[in-house]
Amino acid sequence: MSFYLSALIMGLCLSMLALGIFISMKIFNIPDITTDGSYTLGGAVTAVMFMHQQNILLVLLAVAASGAIAGALTGLIHTKLKINALLAGILVMTALYSVNLIIMQRSNIPLTDASKLLFGLIHISKTDDLNTLFIVLLFVIIATIKIGYLLKTDFGVAMRATGNSESMVRALGVNTDRMKIIGLALANALTALSGFLVTQFQLFADISMGIGVVIVGLGSVIIAETVINWLRITSVWGSLALVLGGAVIFQFVLAFTLAIGIDANYLKIVTAAFVLLIVSLPRITQRGRAA
Amino acid sequence: MKPLKTFLYVALATALASCGQGQKSSSSVPVIGFVEAFPDQTIEQARIGFTDALKAKGYSEDQHTVKIEYGNAQGSQVTLTQIINNYISKPVDLLATSTTVSSLAAVQRTKTIPICEMVSPTPERMKVLDANGKAPANLFGVIEDLPYIDTSFSLIPKLLKPTMGKLKVGMIYNQAEPQSVDAMQRIKDQSDKLGITLIAVPLNSSADAKLVTQSLLDKNIDAFFANPDNVVFSAFETIKQSCDAKFVPIFTSEAGLVKRGAVAAFGADIYQWGYQAGLQAAQYLKTRKMDGLQPEMVKVRKRVYNKAAAAKYHITVPTNFQAI
Repeated sequence: MSFYLSALIMGLCLSMLALGIFISMKIFNIPDITTDGSYTLGGAVTAVMFMHQQNILLVLLAVAASGAIAGALTGLIHTKLKINALLAGILVMTALYSVNLIIMQRSNIPLTDASKLLFGLIHISKTDDLNTLFIVLLFVIIATIKIGYLLKTDFGVAMRATGNSESMVRALGVNTDRMKIIGLALANALTALSGFLVTQFQLFADISMGIGVVIVGLGSVIIAETVINWLRITSVWGSLALVLGGAVIFQFVLAFTLAIGIDANYLKIVTAAFVLLIVSLPRITQRGRAA
Repeated sequence: MKPLKTFLYVALATALASCGQGQKSSSSVPVIGFVEAFPDQTIEQARIGFTDALKAKGYSEDQHTVKIEYGNAQGSQVTLTQIINNYISKPVDLLATSTTVSSLAAVQRTKTIPICEMVSPTPERMKVLDANGKAPANLFGVIEDLPYIDTSFSLIPKLLKPTMGKLKVGMIYNQAEPQSVDAMQRIKDQSDKLGITLIAVPLNSSADAKLVTQSLLDKNIDAFFANPDNVVFSAFETIKQSCDAKFVPIFTSEAGLVKRGAVAAFGADIYQWGYQAGLQAAQYLKTRKMDGLQPEMVKVRKRVYNKAAAAKYHITVPTNFQAI
């Protein structure tokens, strides 16, 4: 069962990223491609700062700030230069590859001393993985509560509404450009925190760690949205919880596919089929009810 | 829609049932978890060599004396971590990792399960030495250091005369691989001593191979040095096609690339690399002890050349080279 435990940890580490995608989807209605870059950026900053024995709180702040800057850049390019949001994300993501290389100075950095890391700070349980699970769970819960409260403020409501109907929100006197920039900064700060968590879980940062990770986040959000629409959930808390759940489910699907020992060539198609099965279940049962 | 619904439930039920089965493994047969980070024809040779060596030592999958589970992360590092976690929690008796990132991910995740690495650099170059400068105790396998590249690269001025002035050699390197960047640095230092002008440009994705190679060829290089990294392995045919069109010969340090059309090489053979690792793995499975096992250097390095390519470029290869 310890394999599913590590899959659960991985899912929780990536749930920050899923939250980030969820927010950018709310604002833009399209996923933010910057994710691939800012996830690696979070990992790179984490690895380099730990290599230089920095305090963990400082690392955490630096990671969040670096992600936020990356996201704000995408937002600025999109709103001030009127560049298509997808392209703006692609541009920043591409540029971040060089930035990450410059930060790391090499393509991967292993973390050698685990005791200074987040998962070595407190010992709640004797087993390593269980301890990691408790800490990551605590981390995710605190972060989610903060995001939840933020989304429930007037500011948060305006930000969410920007994605629904931009012209309407602008008519109400809200600066939508500002909303988008701040929203993207927030989303990418969360993504960078995913990189922070994953780097400490797998104990190394790698320049290619972010490749395709936007798909993971998007998959998690879509799984969550399916359930949100199915059960007609409107509360912020419910939605956030489902997004976290979506990230975990996505990793479980991958873990499950690996555990049943699928031929390596079929890995991706089987994973895709399982996700399809999950998101189409409500549709099929609904139609069954109608018939 | 009833049948579809029933089908779904049945599918889900069987899936859950097989989930439980996956946990159990028959006790006597040793299980090896083989991890690759991405699919590649040349890198795959290491796995074939590894399996062949085990077979030669009496561990064959056909005779059920060993079970080799194979996971390929297909380029995704999230999947890579999960594959390794899966093998660790089973647990497998031995992890076999091919290429640097798989080895690194495994080393960082387990300190108990033995890891047999191949197609990877020295632990020092991978930066996994502990405070006392020791490699992880559960790590063995077959590794490669950089000095061999000197010999491969110094081949070029021996076999080729410059069209005018200094010999100009172009090369690409992958910024995402430490050994590729290190190799480039080393070659750069060496090229000054050999009186060669080296033009090195980064290429990080095989999608840009055509463009980057073309830009190198436009600088009138006399030869192309294909430093064996992941991008070169996957884009070699593109590189070769462009080089052939401009009549620029390719040199390298890996035998498999010579088979694919490079003129000559002195270097490791990925198949032999895997084979050597397989012999070590067999020794571990026999004794179940790490005694005498540690990362060791690649033993078989070959001087090889490609007959057709050499003839095409009118290059006379010394007699100690073997045609493949």
